Amino acid sequence: MRWLVWLPVLFLAVRSLATRWFWPALWPGEWSGRAWSAVRAEPLENSLTLAAAVTVTAVLVALPLAGPYLRRPSLRWAVLTLALLPPLAASVGLHGLFLRLGLTDSWWGVALVHLIPATPYAIIAIAGSLSRFDEDLVAQARTLGAGPWAIWRHVKGPALAPGLATGAVFAFVISWSQYASTALIGGGRILTLPMALVGYQQSGDEAVAAALSLVFLSAPVMLSVWVERGWEL
Amino acid sequence: MGRAWLGIVALLAGCAARPREVNFAMWAGDEARNRYLENVVRPHLQDRHGLTLRIVPYGHTSEVVSKLITEKAAGKTSGGSVDVVWINGENFRAAKQAGVLWGPIVMPRLYPAAAYEKDFGTPIDGLETPWQSAQFVMAWDTARFAEPPRTLDALVAWVKAHPGRFTYPAPPDFSGSVFTRHFLLAKGFDGGLAALREMKPYLWKRGETYPATIAELDRLFANQEIDFAMSYGPSFASERIARGTFPATVRTFVFDSGTIGNFNYLAVPFNAADRPAALTLIGDLTSRERLLDMARQLGHTFPHAGPDPGLPRGIATLPPALLRAKFLPEPDAGELVRFEQAWRQRVLLAP
Repeated sequence: MRWLVWLPVLFLAVRSLATRWFWPALWPGEWSGRAWSAVRAEPLENSLTLAAAVTVTAVLVALPLAGPYLRRPSLRWAVLTLALLPPLAASVGLHGLFLRLGLTDSWWGVALVHLIPATPYAIIAIAGSLSRFDEDLVAQARTLGAGPWAIWRHVKGPALAPGLATGAVFAFVISWSQYASTALIGGGRILTLPMALVGYQQSGDEAVAAALSLVFLSAPVMLSVWVERGWEL
Repeated sequence: MGRAWLGIVALLAGCAARPREVNFAMWAGDEARNRYLENVVRPHLQDRHGLTLRIVPYGHTSEVVSKLITEKAAGKTSGGSVDVVWINGENFRAAKQAGVLWGPIVMPRLYPAAAYEKDFGTPIDGLETPWQSAQFVMAWDTARFAEPPRTLDALVAWVKAHPGRFTYPAPPDFSGSVFTRHFLLAKGFDGGLAALREMKPYLWKRGETYPATIAELDRLFANQEIDFAMSYGPSFASERIARGTFPATVRTFVFDSGTIGNFNYLAVPFNAADRPAALTLIGDLTSRERLLDMARQLGHTFPHAGPDPGLPRGIATLPPALLRAKFLPEPDAGELVRFEQAWRQRVLLAP
């Protein structure tokens, strides 16, 4: 039954190429490449570079914080508050600060504002794996003569891998789907896929919206297929 | 003499090193318009003026206005990321009140005098300059019935005779809001609300729910769930026929008593990085040649004053002379907001 997951994707593909498709026809009368000619490379590039940078940074920041997150309730509250804060409210509040720091209308500013919702999820995911990790294993490895690198490489790293992968996927998807914060901090200069998509969705140009949605879906779908493979290996 | 040469060389080197950009913030939901700006206006500006046009797309113009207001509060008074913004109505009122527009902008007065006075009741004072014009039209499918009701009263009677076959997007949607304002203009504040309330039980889904956007209304119309579409763009039906979302038998009409129209405008933010570039772009977009070309290629209305240039029209678009004769100005933006709020209380939430 897993193939059912692909049904909406198939529908979007048909919708992006269909024209003159009226009720009650079950199948489009004509086909057109118009919608795909409206798809540009710039938003895809920006979305990919932002999401990649945010993923790597969020995981690197989250790794040393996952331990304290489990031990200190105050830090736990701070992280959960950040995770639950509506991105729009955060961006409106940060806009003035970013303006003074000269971070608005730039790729760096947008990456930084994406990190705010992305990092807490990475912390939570890594902390999940860490809470099931038995610290005695580290002591055991040390007794057997393993250095810090060997402990990380052979003991702690493999044990935390599922949490790291989940945290990375979360960070990627959160950055990938930001709209309001990108529009506000990027000032419209940093065009991402959601920004391109929203205009067409609102005006009801379903064909272009379907084409952009497929592009938008491609990265998360590939990511989830890759993660699922990783699990089975 | 030698110094002057050095200056000129430095200037030329500076120009060559940094291409001059002009940033145009606009609502970017119209694929044909976006394509035209990218494929026709951009190369022209590059060749003629050495300017690189950059479109800054927004889902709502209000986002640009709030960005400018925050920038003003934070003291960012120069080097802004927007040189020209496409604006009108409530967004213009908010921007003018907050003092985030630069002006007055002086341009040749090519449009009808009314276009320079008030924008939805707000005095313009040269803070924006007209670009294109729009007028409300309704659409019906001649394959379903031959003649539409052409007065508000006839429309109300038609709706009552055909329960479930009519609806409009819920205000504050732009198009739904302007539809309800025809009742405000024709029957007054209370009379207009009473007529809309009277129609409610005969609407699609018995008026218990309304489409949220014009896109949903278009879909209901194309799927034959309702019998009328509406838009603030007189050529919308022709565009949708060309795009393949409406059947070719759709036509548009206006009420005998007229339909509401307005102008949309171009303005320069107070902190625009390059004002000369902004004025160059505005000059190009509002020129006779540009607007005639947009009318030919995109089916837009030609908005300048003077005789009708006799352009070819889309299959479902009404003649410009008829539209101009039926043009009603927008009511004051303040009254518009009050009417939208009253609609919510006395129509949407009414039992």
